[in-house]
Amino acid sequence: MSPAPRVVVTGLGAVSPFGWTVADLRAGLRRGDTVIRTPRRLDTAGHRTRLAAEVPPPPADLLASVGGWRRMAWADRFAVAAAAEAVAAAGLATPVGRAGLYFGGSTAGMAECEQLVGRLLGAFPGRPRIALAASQQINAPGDAAARHLGLRGPVETISSACSSGTLAIGAALEAIRDGEVDLAVAGGSDALCQLTYAGFNSLRSVAAGRCLPFRAHREGLSLGEGAGVLVLESADRAAARSARPLAGLAGAGASCDAHHMTAPHPEGAGAVAAIRAALADAGLHPDAIAFLNAHGTATTHNDDAESRALAKVFGDRTPRLPVTSVKGAVGHLLGSAGALEAVATVLALLDREVQPTAGDDPADPTLGVDLVTGSPRPLAAEAAGISLSLAFGGANAAIVLVAVPEGGRP
Amino acid sequence: MSAPWITGVGVMGAAGAGLDGVADDLAAARIRATGVDRSAGLHRPAGALTAVLASHLPTAEWIPPLVARRMGPGSRLAVVAARTATADAGLGAPELHRAAVVLATIYGAAAVTEKLLRQILLESPEAASPALFTESVANAPAAQVALQMGARGPNVTVVQRQAGALLALGRAAALVRGGRADVVLAGAVDEVSPLLHAVLDRFGALTTSGPDGGEAPRPFDRRRDGCLAGEGAAVLVVESEWHAQRRGARPLAILAGAGGSFDPSSPRSGWARDPRPLAEDLAAFLGRHGAPPEAAVTGGCGARGGDRLEGLVLAHALDPLPPLLAPKAVLGDHGSAQLATAMVTLAGGHVAPAPGFGEADPEIGVAPFSGGDLAPARRTVVTAFAPGGAASWALLDRP
Repeated sequence: MSPAPRVVVTGLGAVSPFGWTVADLRAGLRRGDTVIRTPRRLDTAGHRTRLAAEVPPPPADLLASVGGWRRMAWADRFAVAAAAEAVAAAGLATPVGRAGLYFGGSTAGMAECEQLVGRLLGAFPGRPRIALAASQQINAPGDAAARHLGLRGPVETISSACSSGTLAIGAALEAIRDGEVDLAVAGGSDALCQLTYAGFNSLRSVAAGRCLPFRAHREGLSLGEGAGVLVLESADRAAARSARPLAGLAGAGASCDAHHMTAPHPEGAGAVAAIRAALADAGLHPDAIAFLNAHGTATTHNDDAESRALAKVFGDRTPRLPVTSVKGAVGHLLGSAGALEAVATVLALLDREVQPTAGDDPADPTLGVDLVTGSPRPLAAEAAGISLSLAFGGANAAIVLVAVPEGGRP
Repeated sequence: MSAPWITGVGVMGAAGAGLDGVADDLAAARIRATGVDRSAGLHRPAGALTAVLASHLPTAEWIPPLVARRMGPGSRLAVVAARTATADAGLGAPELHRAAVVLATIYGAAAVTEKLLRQILLESPEAASPALFTESVANAPAAQVALQMGARGPNVTVVQRQAGALLALGRAAALVRGGRADVVLAGAVDEVSPLLHAVLDRFGALTTSGPDGGEAPRPFDRRRDGCLAGEGAAVLVVESEWHAQRRGARPLAILAGAGGSFDPSSPRSGWARDPRPLAEDLAAFLGRHGAPPEAAVTGGCGARGGDRLEGLVLAHALDPLPPLLAPKAVLGDHGSAQLATAMVTLAGGHVAPAPGFGEADPEIGVAPFSGGDLAPARRTVVTAFAPGGAASWALLDRP
């Protein structure tokens, strides 16, 4: 047995293409649905592909309850809504006061900034509204969440492309362990924009059709948007205020491929290092891991390299280790992907079932992974899961989350 | 666990590579401002003209041209700073293999992003260059540093406006404390593009005045009217004490502490009015670390609200006030300016008065160091206050 984690998850928040709450995400992932379709807000005219996973319009009560909503970029709105949901779910009052906020993001309000730049450059009609420049700051969503929550403590935004959200959760874990804070809001937020849509298309990474992680006929990723937020606190603090731990955050690990700017190391060497570092940090043997929420972008290279990494870490057990990817359902949320996937991983532990990967087709047999498809796969009560993120620039990050037994500490 | 050491420093800025150029510019109050390309007509007609630029400087001594051509300006600056820092620290490939990289950036890859947006918005989404897209991400410099140095440890890019550079030091210290890395290449990198400069100008963030008709930001001055945009990179080698001792390395400084806070009353693009909450947090941080600082390297950059908040916070939290350096008066507004200057203050030396400084803002009541020989500081505090609410601080001790 490993020592009980000293950091626990006590609240979850999610804004995803399924909707503006964790309940929407939970139900959508369970069903194995996909919400990758023709977007309404993102204009795909002139692009090579036409699909994306867009967050639906917000419920009316949110518009009314969040101050300054109209001036916020979409990425800020996702962040504020998810953070507010997580904090409320944790039973915390606002203003939150002394706490840290660790947030991941890659482009934040670029969509709004594109409107400004387009007008400045004469590509779009209309007077440039310079206030839109404030939207583009990558730290804007985290700052907006911190202001909304009335948070006083370190606020740090991490922008390491697609690993940002997972790295931010790792940073929060470190801060709580170090005693810098005993309460942290951790997650990420990103919104669809022309820059990333055109950019990933220029790399020929975007699927024209369905996004099919770990399938033989996978042809690329779909882009998505949204925010995921965890409330993390020391187990002692949670116990003292009788907060129910939803899961334990047992460990985090990170590495860099130092191999290529966009292509993963073909053998997944960096991913192996990140997973092993997270396991060592959690004090767990690979055999203790019951499932993996994979990066699973559905690009040929990613799923190849990730599968090889799993084989290295989990050895003979790999063909029996349940693997899921949310990216076939909600797309790739980039800087907030790891944050939303951490929420999904906690939900799997709470519901004692691994959510299916969207699409009924079986896994690519050459990858040797046990892909959960069709319906949820049952999990034991005391399971542990890994959420893995792999990024541009070879930045890899993994976290280990563990289930909480009924009425007890993790 | 003992505080991590800083065993090397590398800088690439307007004065070229190395800390000496920074020290010389501070000693001579030399603002290396050059004209920004305003030919696209995006600036205000009477707007800002200059910035402290560095990305045009040759880098072939450190990066082969065949490799450099695949990098954006920020990546090149960061790689030169990292190479000079690791050489300064005497680190070889085996030690770098496990090294982590933590870099902060204020605006990310501005020049590359501008080119890419022009392709997408003015030509067609399908005109987007994959090579530019790859370099447009905020973590491109940290990734290129890892790629060029073979650094396979955690790779993190911090983006928290002007507070990022010191948060990066804190992140580096946490990686060392947590046993996740023995060596961290930690620092900041910033670049300026004509579009970014124009947007900052239209936002009213940039100074348009100064002595002799030039542009000088004059931090804490009553007549300050904005900052001077700047480029540069600084990388500090943050190393665990045992690792440094094992290889016989000497500390240039000791990273005694780093932290941060946030004031939720801040507007999203400005600074809080009431200095007391952040002053309480800074005072608590200093109280936890014992000895008072003998020098302060402020983030004062000429911003009306930012300098006001920072000056008032420092006046509340530090009694007596040590000499307040405002390196952004000379070096421009970028994260590496403060990191490099902090290393300069530990050695002491001549620092000239801030150029163009006339009269302290009576609403703030503090003035930057009036010039002269600065005694080597046993302890230097570095502070930064970002628009939007974040603040950060770090303590560097002379060994």
